Amino acid sequence: MTDETRFAHASEAELSRILDYYGVRWEYEPRTFPIMWGLDGKVVESFSPDFYLPDMDMYVELTTLKQSLVRRKNRKLRRLRELYPDIRIKLFYGKDFRALMLKYGRVDLAASLSGLEGQVAADRINSRLKAEAELAAEVDDVTAVAAPEMTPTETRWSSSEASGLATRRRRVSRGSRRRRGRRAFAAARAVA
Amino acid sequence: MVQAQHRARVPDLRGDIGQVLISEEEIRNKVRELGAQVTADYTGRSVTLVSVLKGSLPFMADLMRAIDVPVQIDLMEVSSYGGATTETSGLVRILKDLSSSIAGRDVLIVEDIIDTGLTLNYLLRYLRGKNPASLRICALLDKPARRLVEIPIDYTGFTIPDEFVVGYGLDFGEFYRNLPFIGVLRRELYETA
Repeated sequence: MTDETRFAHASEAELSRILDYYGVRWEYEPRTFPIMWGLDGKVVESFSPDFYLPDMDMYVELTTLKQSLVRRKNRKLRRLRELYPDIRIKLFYGKDFRALMLKYGRVDLAASLSGLEGQVAADRINSRLKAEAELAAEVDDVTAVAAPEMTPTETRWSSSEASGLATRRRRVSRGSRRRRGRRAFAAARAVA
Repeated sequence: MVQAQHRARVPDLRGDIGQVLISEEEIRNKVRELGAQVTADYTGRSVTLVSVLKGSLPFMADLMRAIDVPVQIDLMEVSSYGGATTETSGLVRILKDLSSSIAGRDVLIVEDIIDTGLTLNYLLRYLRGKNPASLRICALLDKPARRLVEIPIDYTGFTIPDEFVVGYGLDFGEFYRNLPFIGVLRRELYETA
């Protein structure tokens, strides 16, 4: 399942590996829940939890953004619970993910797999997973599995979330961005 | 990785503890209480205690002496995500299996702490496959805030807050297991960023 999935974030890829490790079945963003409609009845806002664990009949939403940036996600989650009271969903915050990494002795990777840095690492991890899938399929062409260049990953943020991130990005100094990039790259290499 | 970082510094066994969460006396009383509950539930039967190395050892040693019915013990060890075996197998490995069959026996899994529930969920499925007469869980500590997999716990010692705890078998980088109490490790010892 991991081999075929393109994750939006490195932390999601890491969680999928943990679930795989312990034999817990999961599906990635299998369902989108409409949570707000316009006057014309069209859906104007929806929520797609990151993981569904079929054996537990539970959804898991993972967000590694700073606490100040998860307000919108919290609101969507509250709305989801109001509209779909029978749905079981667990929200994993950045601190929860960090604790998970600490538990598994990978706390040094937590920062690189979280927040904005995790988006860069996600691309690297997706590329690695793709390469592994190709290897598994016994593709002869060795060049097909060569590590691609580090490029900003595709994002699945809503427009308002994306604008919030853009604002945050402007506040980060160039030197800080370089340091974060180096850490993310090192983490991606360590994962790969 | 944590172990590697940790080796560079000799832990200050008690000085590294920010707060004692559960005292030695509280643990002793709770273990006695749990032992009495298990004794009442298994009266007229024997029970096989299965403990998971290494964190559960002190709890297992104390609990078995607090139970007043015939007891057999067995030990298991499973690999952990992020450990040396992760990259090679990608799956949990049984590093030490049960020494004898549990088919037809009443089994009680003795755990130090349940947080995500992932390891225990795996063990439950594994042990159910060995056809015990019954399978129950006794956990000294329950940290529900971290739960990813819901696990029915039959005997719970303490429900604890979302803190990184060590002592009484629980470790950080393999240290602190020998503390007689359960304490919260000082945050700066594991916060790196």
